[in-house]
Amino acid sequence: MSTTDAPADGSTVAAPPRRVLRGSRRAVARSARVDRIWLGLLGFVLLAAGTLAALLGYGVFGAGRAARPLLDPLIVDALRAQQQLWRWVAIAAGVVLVVLGLWWAVRSLRPERRPDLLLDESEDSTLLVTAGAVAEAVTDRTAALPGVGRARARMVGSPGTPALRLTVWVTDDADVADVCRRLETEIVAEARRALGLAHLPVAVRLELDSVTRAPRVA
Amino acid sequence: MRALLRTLSPLLGLALAAVGVILVIEVVTAWVRPASSGLVVPWPAWQLVLSELTWSDRPVKVVSICVAVVGLLLLLIALLARRHDVALTAPTPEMTVATSPQVLARLVGRTVRASDDVAAATVSASARTVVVRAEGWPDPDGSFRGLTDTVRGRVSTLLDELPLARRPRISVSTRGRKEPR
Repeated sequence: MSTTDAPADGSTVAAPPRRVLRGSRRAVARSARVDRIWLGLLGFVLLAAGTLAALLGYGVFGAGRAARPLLDPLIVDALRAQQQLWRWVAIAAGVVLVVLGLWWAVRSLRPERRPDLLLDESEDSTLLVTAGAVAEAVTDRTAALPGVGRARARMVGSPGTPALRLTVWVTDDADVADVCRRLETEIVAEARRALGLAHLPVAVRLELDSVTRAPRVA
Repeated sequence: MRALLRTLSPLLGLALAAVGVILVIEVVTAWVRPASSGLVVPWPAWQLVLSELTWSDRPVKVVSICVAVVGLLLLLIALLARRHDVALTAPTPEMTVATSPQVLARLVGRTVRASDDVAAATVSASARTVVVRAEGWPDPDGSFRGLTDTVRGRVSTLLDELPLARRPRISVSTRGRKEPR
């Protein structure tokens, strides 16, 4: 594990490294960046191909071109002239499509990682805290804070750079700033101490506990 | 929109992989057995049809426009599926605090509707703007300046209390009610 141990004497800890700051932003929610990029690329290719074909059909590039067959004899002849080469190109394109498509599908369907924390490892023993145990402890402690109706915690990230995702349902009368402050000083700091971590990026998502309507008539 | 993205992504990935498999199978089949008429796709029949169709034929135009529309929809889904979180100030740099625009809108709506001057209100919110459309009763001079000021003041006080990383702009529009107060 790349995380460093927390100082036992309570001395000031150095500023968190950049990866820790990035970790808290990434932990807010599961990233959909790759899916968005691939979907955007596919959409752009289809949009460009469809638009160009429609413009060609409506004669924007000349009436002669619009009257040519879809499978142009010129292109067919060019392919037949280098048949061996184009066969290999087609097979390579097919293999690339299979690999990319399967990678995309598997990546999209893969559940998010919940890293366990390896606290100590020696030749004959291993001390491991499961992600579920950490999440349960943090959930229970958070739900007991004043102004918090319920809470849900989850370990995310990788075993080397774990992070904590906290969803907190605050009550109507909650002081949001105070809840955030208490989360840091009472929950996260304690979790860091207990797990022996100098840094633990945390992403907090605030929700309203329930819809309560203020009385219009006293 | 993100749910649609999560649903479409594996389906499109599998579709791409299927196209790749069919392409490889057909090319290898045509290479090994040149006389065959295709293992999965009847490509000799398709070749014949594609040789007879021209770019200006109506079916080709219709399919082209449909492909462009599908592409545009996919592009819009990809662009709109980003997160629209409202960032809040965190007590330490190791912490990121965020909430949804819906939560901010609910908080604002509850505050605005609690005022006796407001009969009804609809609120939409984002990280940049909070738009309030309030219904109430006009001032004695017939204007809605009092209602607007009340709503704006309440929203402003609420935004001051919330630890927002960026204060959104407040936009208030008012409408009169015919019924007596």
